[in-house]
Amino acid sequence: MSTRRDFLVGSAVAGGGLLLGLRLPVNAAERGSPESNAPASSFRPNAWLRIAAGGGIVLVVGRSEMGQGVRTALAKIVAEELDVDLAQVELEQASPSAEYDDLGTGGSSSMSDGWMPLRQAGAAARAMLLGAAARRWEVSVDACRTAAGRVHGPGDRSASYGELAAEAAHARVPFSPVLKSAAQRKTIGQPSPRFDGPAIVTGRALYGLDVRRPGMLFAVVARPPRFGGSLRSFDAARALAFPGVRACFAIPSGVAVIAESTWSAISGRDQLAIEWTEGTGPSFESAAHHARLASAVEESGVTTRKDGRGRAALAAAALRHHAVYAYPFAAHGAVEPVNSTAHVTGERSGRKCEIWAATQAPNTVQTKCAEALGLKPSAVTVHVTLIGGGFGRRLGVDFNVESVEIARQVAEPVQLLWTRDDDLAHGYFQAAAAHRLEAACDGSGRILAWDHRKASTPHNARSKPSAAELADAEYLADSSWGVTDNPYLVADFESSYRVVDSPVPIGPWRAVFAPSSVFARESFIDELAAFGHRAPVDFRRELLAEPEGVSSRANGVRAAVPATPDELRRRGRRERLSGALERLATVTGWWREGTAALPPDHGRGVAADVFHTGTCVAYGVEVQRAAPLRPGDLPFGIARVVAVVDCGVVIDPDGVAQQVESGIFWSLSNAFGESTFENGRLRETNLETFRVARYRHLPEAIEIHIVDTAEERPRGLGEPVVSPFAPALANALAQLFGRRFRRLPLRPEDFA
Amino acid sequence: MPQEVPSPVPARFAFTLNGQSREARGPRDLPLLWYLRDTLGLTGTKFGCGKGICGACTVVEGSTAVRACQVTIEQASGKNYTTIEGLSPDGTHPVQRAWLAENVAQCGYCQPGMILEVVALLLRDARPGASEIASALDGHVCRCGSYPRIRKAIERVVHEQP
Repeated sequence: MSTRRDFLVGSAVAGGGLLLGLRLPVNAAERGSPESNAPASSFRPNAWLRIAAGGGIVLVVGRSEMGQGVRTALAKIVAEELDVDLAQVELEQASPSAEYDDLGTGGSSSMSDGWMPLRQAGAAARAMLLGAAARRWEVSVDACRTAAGRVHGPGDRSASYGELAAEAAHARVPFSPVLKSAAQRKTIGQPSPRFDGPAIVTGRALYGLDVRRPGMLFAVVARPPRFGGSLRSFDAARALAFPGVRACFAIPSGVAVIAESTWSAISGRDQLAIEWTEGTGPSFESAAHHARLASAVEESGVTTRKDGRGRAALAAAALRHHAVYAYPFAAHGAVEPVNSTAHVTGERSGRKCEIWAATQAPNTVQTKCAEALGLKPSAVTVHVTLIGGGFGRRLGVDFNVESVEIARQVAEPVQLLWTRDDDLAHGYFQAAAAHRLEAACDGSGRILAWDHRKASTPHNARSKPSAAELADAEYLADSSWGVTDNPYLVADFESSYRVVDSPVPIGPWRAVFAPSSVFARESFIDELAAFGHRAPVDFRRELLAEPEGVSSRANGVRAAVPATPDELRRRGRRERLSGALERLATVTGWWREGTAALPPDHGRGVAADVFHTGTCVAYGVEVQRAAPLRPGDLPFGIARVVAVVDCGVVIDPDGVAQQVESGIFWSLSNAFGESTFENGRLRETNLETFRVARYRHLPEAIEIHIVDTAEERPRGLGEPVVSPFAPALANALAQLFGRRFRRLPLRPEDFA
Repeated sequence: MPQEVPSPVPARFAFTLNGQSREARGPRDLPLLWYLRDTLGLTGTKFGCGKGICGACTVVEGSTAVRACQVTIEQASGKNYTTIEGLSPDGTHPVQRAWLAENVAQCGYCQPGMILEVVALLLRDARPGASEIASALDGHVCRCGSYPRIRKAIERVVHEQP
């Protein structure tokens, strides 16, 4: 049985304050599987709200800030229900422990996970403070109210939360604190300045690489240049001769160089003479891999979803169309390269380790580093810093483990830096993929049957999938976001996944499995709309409309067969996606007769997606011909981007806008940058050859529309905003240039 | 093959940093970036690539934006540098204020470099045109996509100046 006690406990703190423990759900992106809904046998809080007798209001919370604004947003939720100004809330970053057993950040889930527990905690604390004031003044609770961190009673009675905290701590935690209605909210739904803004603009914000410890040393590691290589031998004489270099030694991943400054470490590494073994993928070529994907996608793979007659229905149809789409490998390339600072102290049973890490997975850092050192997790303390860009890369803890492999051999604290080349070449990557889509249409352009085949490599970096998993339909369906959860209604539907192995490490990358699938699906839908001479928004909306005879909330007709909860959920998503598209058509006036005529040398495109969290995003993109600004640039500019987002309840509209802008640039980078491999090694080892969006690529105008919703839950944004942008761009380019762009990245020769 | 070991003879180099005279002791090849970060602990100047490609380590030299990873302490001799820590005592430089007003930063890692680039741009030209802004900022990488807000923040500074 689930009760309020399952996620809220109260207690007094030393010095006489109020402490409320709450529980955020386990983060699926870190753990790799969703938390069971079964109630825990004993309640263990993993976040705390603390009101000190002195008045300080502290939220100790374990989600990592990597630019998504999570610290600000979580503080806002608490501030709202507690009735304090946002500026009154201090944040303390949690360190992993038995208590804080889930600090993972990923899967665009921080807001949906935190929403209820943090509101409950804020409201419960407020109720307890109100109760304490009423008892003190011997008045009824109804005669008291709260504002800006104070309780006001009859007459001029007033007390700050800090003054009441000790008395409030003795009260029972309310079983069901009353939460504010949407109309009562003052902070949620309004823009707030970023919590870390002032520290960022003054250079005081501390990222992983900014950790400074007394007497610390600095390290870099030489790693095998080719996949699967390992150390055969090395000569460190010249490296050790470099001023400031203290030591060079082998660790499992290569040769570590330890020095008094980062520069000495990097310079010393250049002086190492190393022989590597050839490795397992010494001659890997990404060009050949793309060819393998293209041929694999022509063959059938493991069926990941089948409705009706599946692809068999294609054969009977007269009108058929198919297309193949190619998608590249891509590194993360966060501007703060991965790094980790570690200090191992003590001997034998007194051995301990302290780690400072810009990480999305603090608990995994703790357990994996403890494992590497042969220690209990409790002997490893992890301090979580701000992150200079996560994007999924920092769900991996390889660099943290590497740092303790070094620190165990050094007395001083050591900061391990992966240089830019290291960061791009030795991380894990978004998987290259090929998608083959085929559809059958009737004379009016209606889609009768749909076949979507994907060929790619499932995640293998954090753990290798077993042979059984690679043949398992459910496992592969889980790696097929954007394919199997295709929102469009087609009676005969089939999708499949064909695994193509590669030595390239594959792991989480912003939006994970969705980008290639959504690029292919939304491009293909656009092609079908064009064949039928249909406006791309109307065409999509018709595919999202309930067929005749099925009830919807709008017409209230009873369905012949009761819909399953899953079907109702999918129906709700179709409705909301259709609504987002409708809004896009309305605000732009594009694709409507007599409005917003297309200027010469311009093209417009649309794409849309429902992410698995339920967030709906529709992008409209208008491009114009333009001379390339730099060698390698493409012959167009982006005149306008219009985004419509339905993400459930909005914590901060400016935060939503930032995430949308971020998604646009991430996807834009993905549209003209890639990672390629030649002779078993990465070619794009810097931020010039690994092409990313820069200021000159900035669209002339970006408009963001947020759908008002009565829905009382946030649905996440960091990932949902990524995938539909690239196909919207490709569809706009198709209109402008009169040809299809079915391969990412776009290359200058595609426009020749 | 390893290259020749450079001969990083420690020497003394004097320059001005955030209004104070400094005498740096270190090998002449030591990049200013690492002197700031590792020797002085001024970590507001960020490492992003070490090759002058990403702009994260931008500091102002006199009134020009330079990449601290591309300037050795020998080359820094006699010059005057401003880092993000020295831009204003309290974060109230007009560019910093505009940055906060437009909520520019996401992860924020590249922002000190961006801010100092804009400071130098505005020293050169109080009302820069779109193409001057674009060419100044094109040497910087932001993976979070703060570019639209940087544009707005610059417009705000230009608009609000006397």
